[in-house]
Amino acid sequence: MLRFSFIFRGRGVAKRFASSFSNESALPSNLLLPTNLVDPDRLKRPPPPADSSLPPLRKCDAAVPAHLTPVQTWVESLERQDSEPLGVAQLHPDVFAVPPRLDILHSVETWQRNYKRISHAHTKVRSEVSGGGRKPWKQKGSGRARHGSIRSPIWRGGGVSHGPRGPTSYYYMLPMKVRVQGLKVGLSSKMAQDDLHIVDSLNIPTPDSQYLLDLIRHRHWGESVLIVDVGEDFSENILQATANLKTVNVIPAIGLNVHSMLKHEAIVLTLETVKFLEDKLLWHDERYTPLYPFKLPYSDFP
Amino acid sequence: MSLLGGLLRAGASYCQSAGTLLHTVRTISTGTCCQIRMHAIPQPKKVDRWTEKRSMYGVYDNIGILGDFKAHPKDLIVAPCWLKAFKGNELQRSIRKKKMVGDRMMTQDRHNLEKRIRFLYRRFNRTGKHR
Repeated sequence: MLRFSFIFRGRGVAKRFASSFSNESALPSNLLLPTNLVDPDRLKRPPPPADSSLPPLRKCDAAVPAHLTPVQTWVESLERQDSEPLGVAQLHPDVFAVPPRLDILHSVETWQRNYKRISHAHTKVRSEVSGGGRKPWKQKGSGRARHGSIRSPIWRGGGVSHGPRGPTSYYYMLPMKVRVQGLKVGLSSKMAQDDLHIVDSLNIPTPDSQYLLDLIRHRHWGESVLIVDVGEDFSENILQATANLKTVNVIPAIGLNVHSMLKHEAIVLTLETVKFLEDKLLWHDERYTPLYPFKLPYSDFP
Repeated sequence: MSLLGGLLRAGASYCQSAGTLLHTVRTISTGTCCQIRMHAIPQPKKVDRWTEKRSMYGVYDNIGILGDFKAHPKDLIVAPCWLKAFKGNELQRSIRKKKMVGDRMMTQDRHNLEKRIRFLYRRFNRTGKHR
């Protein structure tokens, strides 16, 4: 997951293919290049240096530990397609620069797939199949093998002896801190691979889906974008623009999860979302263990 | 020879005359046999990876952590009521189903459930190594 240095670039691969197959078309029709190949177009704007002189638009609210420095990223705008970034924002390193724990990402992802899984596979046992109460023929004298019922598992049409039984659930819960750490590792990995973009707000000039697609292609964000915003009411323009798009999705900040982060190539957060996430995720580093579930009222926790 | 037999068996489904021939005449061929051409490798099925369900999968799974603990992810599970936020082996599931839903069940289903519980109890607690 750490950044590899690709020798080939997107167009370089095409040129190599063009030179080797000179008689056929330039590119084979079934060529599938991964969209996250390092492209020279994407390297135009490097992330802001750690000691840049620009005043940050946003500083970390929580205290940053002394041995860590805040992560700096550009704050962009969705108003115009080719606008320059508005400024620099500082993000808390304990949320956005956590060591990349792939095992935690894997365990959180498998938890998300399995805890809601209900398997409805069901087979009937020999006692549940209709019929089969009577002994088909007498024990001795008929010349045939001895049997007790016509629905035993060795008979055709008989019950299944060790088959799936009824709706089965695969529910389990990971510890809360593991799930929190999974979110932090996911956000840090997206930040480390330049797939996390901060935007000041989700105001778009037109409710046109094509505008969003052009903007994403122009800025080389990737094939799929997940847009996260705090609050329940979104502006009508962004809702209408993303309604018809399959790979661009808008979710509230409460709905952020590791599976969606891994499914979409790029993630767009607003400044309020960053504040909300830092607030929620950093609280778990310094909380006491719960004496009773958190959903019951505590005096000092809203 | 096995190649010829395989092709004949494949061709038997393609045209019935070859199928009848299979049982009556033993054909011998000395050259390469490519008379019957079939799509031996089936086409991979086309799956749309970006349907509404797939693109929104897993949203709100962290509703507890990010939403002030007013809800729990177990509230999101769509399941029969005796299986919501519960995991157990077959005996435990059957006992829970009887406890929660037993008085609403049809008589035949309830009878089967009780027989199954009785069987599983005796099987788990009286036979085998672990009792």
